[in-house]
Amino acid sequence: MTAIAEHAPPRAQAVQPQRAMPALLLLPALTWIAVFFLLPLVLMCWRSLAADGYSFKAYWIVFSSPLYTKVMLTTLESASIATVLALLLAYPMAYTLTITRGVWRGLLLMFVFIPYWVDIIVRTFSWLILLGDHGLINGLLRKLGIVHAPLPLLYSEFAVLVGMVQILLPLTIVVLFGAMLRIDRTLISAAKIHGASGWNAFRTVFFPLSLPGVYGAALLVFVLSLGFYVTPALLGSPRQTMVAQTIMVEASELLEWGQASAAGFILLVITTLIAAIYNRYFSLDRLWGGSDA
Amino acid sequence: MNPTADRIVLGAAAAAIVAYLIFPVIVVLAISFSAGNFLEFPPPGLSLRWYRAIAGDPEWVSAFMVTLKVGSLTALLATLLGVPAAFALVRYVVPAKALLSALILCALVTPPIVTAISTYLFFVPLGLDNSIVGLACAHAVSGMPFVVINTAASLRSADRNLERAAIIHGAHPLWAIARITLPIISPGIIIGAILAFVHSAHELLIAMFVLGGVGKPVTVKIWSDVQATSDPTIAAASAILIGLAILTFVSVSTAQALARRRNG
Amino acid sequence: MDRSADTASGAQIRLRNLYKSYGEVAAVDDVSLDVPAGAFVSLLGPSGSGKTTTLNLIAGFLTPDRGDILIDNRSVADVPPHKRNIGMVFQSYSLFPHMTVADNVGFPLRMRSKLTRDEAKKRIAEMLALVQLSHLQTRYPRQLSGGQQQRVAMARALVSRPRLLLMDEPLGALDKKLREQMQTEIRRIHRSVGTTVVYVTHDQSEALTMSDLVVVMHRARIAQIGPPNALYETPTNAFVADFIGDSNLIDVAIVGVVGDRWTVKAGDGALIHAAPPAFAASAGDHAFLLIRPEDMTVRPLTKSAQETPMQGERIVGILKERSFHGDVFKLSIAVGGDLLKARVAREDGASFEVGQQIVLTWKSAAARLLPASDDVAGGRNAAP
Repeated sequence: MTAIAEHAPPRAQAVQPQRAMPALLLLPALTWIAVFFLLPLVLMCWRSLAADGYSFKAYWIVFSSPLYTKVMLTTLESASIATVLALLLAYPMAYTLTITRGVWRGLLLMFVFIPYWVDIIVRTFSWLILLGDHGLINGLLRKLGIVHAPLPLLYSEFAVLVGMVQILLPLTIVVLFGAMLRIDRTLISAAKIHGASGWNAFRTVFFPLSLPGVYGAALLVFVLSLGFYVTPALLGSPRQTMVAQTIMVEASELLEWGQASAAGFILLVITTLIAAIYNRYFSLDRLWGGSDA
Repeated sequence: MNPTADRIVLGAAAAAIVAYLIFPVIVVLAISFSAGNFLEFPPPGLSLRWYRAIAGDPEWVSAFMVTLKVGSLTALLATLLGVPAAFALVRYVVPAKALLSALILCALVTPPIVTAISTYLFFVPLGLDNSIVGLACAHAVSGMPFVVINTAASLRSADRNLERAAIIHGAHPLWAIARITLPIISPGIIIGAILAFVHSAHELLIAMFVLGGVGKPVTVKIWSDVQATSDPTIAAASAILIGLAILTFVSVSTAQALARRRNG
Repeated sequence: MDRSADTASGAQIRLRNLYKSYGEVAAVDDVSLDVPAGAFVSLLGPSGSGKTTTLNLIAGFLTPDRGDILIDNRSVADVPPHKRNIGMVFQSYSLFPHMTVADNVGFPLRMRSKLTRDEAKKRIAEMLALVQLSHLQTRYPRQLSGGQQQRVAMARALVSRPRLLLMDEPLGALDKKLREQMQTEIRRIHRSVGTTVVYVTHDQSEALTMSDLVVVMHRARIAQIGPPNALYETPTNAFVADFIGDSNLIDVAIVGVVGDRWTVKAGDGALIHAAPPAFAASAGDHAFLLIRPEDMTVRPLTKSAQETPMQGERIVGILKERSFHGDVFKLSIAVGGDLLKARVAREDGASFEVGQQIVLTWKSAAARLLPASDDVAGGRNAAP
């Protein structure tokens, strides 16, 4: 053992640049996030507590306010329904993507991504046009003689959901597609060769294997739906008001920054909790192809 | 169910969903060319009057300039911050990798309204409210993940031995990364940068707080107009945004395809 | 070995107790090695044996956790890879796709040396002539075949006259015939340039053909070092015996020693004579008995054979399988609980039939004892 000593050079110096490198590379990004994202959040939290001296007054107001309670419930309800609908529509689409190849798959993916190039405001207000009393849907229904008077489609839960789901769909499809791609297709062949029909092979093999992806997509989509602002504002009646709108009004019109901050912080806690649960069971990195080694 | 029937059902479902996704986009584009005065679909005739209206309206022109400036700055910042981070995540075993991914996802998953008011509260004492640079700094946070994810994907699939071949034969490691590896992964970086740009161009809530006044970007102007007027100008403005994004995408893709053909 | 350049153009390499781990797993464990100047050394082993990691440590792409690397008696621990003055050829050639062949070959000169443009051009031409690709210097890598790309990679690696050339399984992507051609090429180039070569491969016949010295690696450690024939004739452990060439390894227990004659007992009780072991052993120890298939003579069991006195050792078994390999027939013979491999010449092979009783004989000097270790999976020779 002592023979090594005369040849072994000081290791410390050679190793340090290796260890410092990743920290150095990550420093800009991490600092930026800390300064422009985390710090403001801390500030917001502080503001929510400093409303009237240092107290939980703002939180108390928010929690005991019937308005906030109703709005929160509406938000949770709309988000849940939107998530379920988005999953129901995205699943067959994602599945179709897995069984198509080459040009067709590229084409389909393009169609899924095109809406992304249009901003949310405009995508939402196109529904304003389509669902209006003189809009396309009503026009069609009247032409076909199904109704005589225009249906009040707008400013309703229906309209809000239609808008929300359309905006959530591309992301849902992509996440489900990614999860489905990881399912070994030879398992389906194995099921079929042993007697399962197409439907049974899907039901007993593919679908159960796709469930983790479904849960992951569901959590992600739900969290995103909680924060919707434009869609309920444009397409919904006051009864469909979601929490982001309330916070906006508190902050920009009523200038009640304390309460707005409190409400915002509560919303943040909810979304963070959900994301944390997701991470615990599914690992966030899988969303973007995994950084596992 | 026999396989062909399966396929037909699936195909029909897919087609319906595609229609659901695409139709509103088509509506917007169609209305932007409307000859009529109102937001109606299908439009009564075709005309470029709304585009001309935008081109002639100094408020709209300035709004587009602001969006362009903010978006470009955001893309630049996101790239400068995200590319090194991607290298760190792919090339090194970082102990807190999961934590980092969590942080990045946090930025994506935090409700925009929360980011908006917290950013505003932070900017006011610093005097960054009402500044293009300020908004870009805020947008860079949520634009970064796009650059990191796409760069990391490119980096992972790139052949690391090309870089090593350069280094072992005398090239300084930084030179090798700059002249050998970066060109190879540039498609990933550029896609990420474009996505960051688009994300910034579409962002509404933070922009409303930070640049909601005189120098507002396109999204804020569209939002305030949507509630006030009801003519197809907004459709035209949106169509221009779409056009801009597609133009950037197409020109970059062409440039990359040419570069790829040159490099074999 | 004949060399047109002097031996001083190759570096002397020493590895001292190298250790590198990833987490809990050691990729290179206490590896020490002395490579004489100008030698062609192969690092041979299965995947995961640590040979590529060792190469990357020498190149400087990895830093060892412990131990040292000396090139020409100077430690390179603190020298980054681009300053070590090494040439390297990678498995996927790694030619720069946006540069011509000439520019690829000239790359190290632009990075490292202070040659003038004209001198550089001359050197490049020299290298391309060495690999016989002068006519392709304006082509791009994608226009070349695999073998041609590999030769360009060699030219690039050698252009700045490095004293050490590293090669990481360079022929892995080529087909058999091309591989054999390239092996000859590489040897020719080595002889004419005189640089030290460290060559990584998992192909034992490649290592045996090309090298002056072979380092067999197994599970992050060195199993044996030596010239090719030594590894073949006198392996020092069961892993090397099994990895290089065909072998029969039988579990035996040492029963007794009389002078130079060692007697061992196989599983079924058969007593066999073996040559004196090269390691410390005594009666009662377990060991492996190595007999190479080509050292065994194969005859069918006939009455007359039973009566004819034979030299050396003999054993009787039943032929289980017979397969044709072009120049030889390979036979599998069940003896007791073991399955032994033997071979016969093409013209004799046809006369053997499955189920036949077979006599195997060998000279006791060919029966070598190797230490019992758990490195080699047990039961390999067991009959199915």
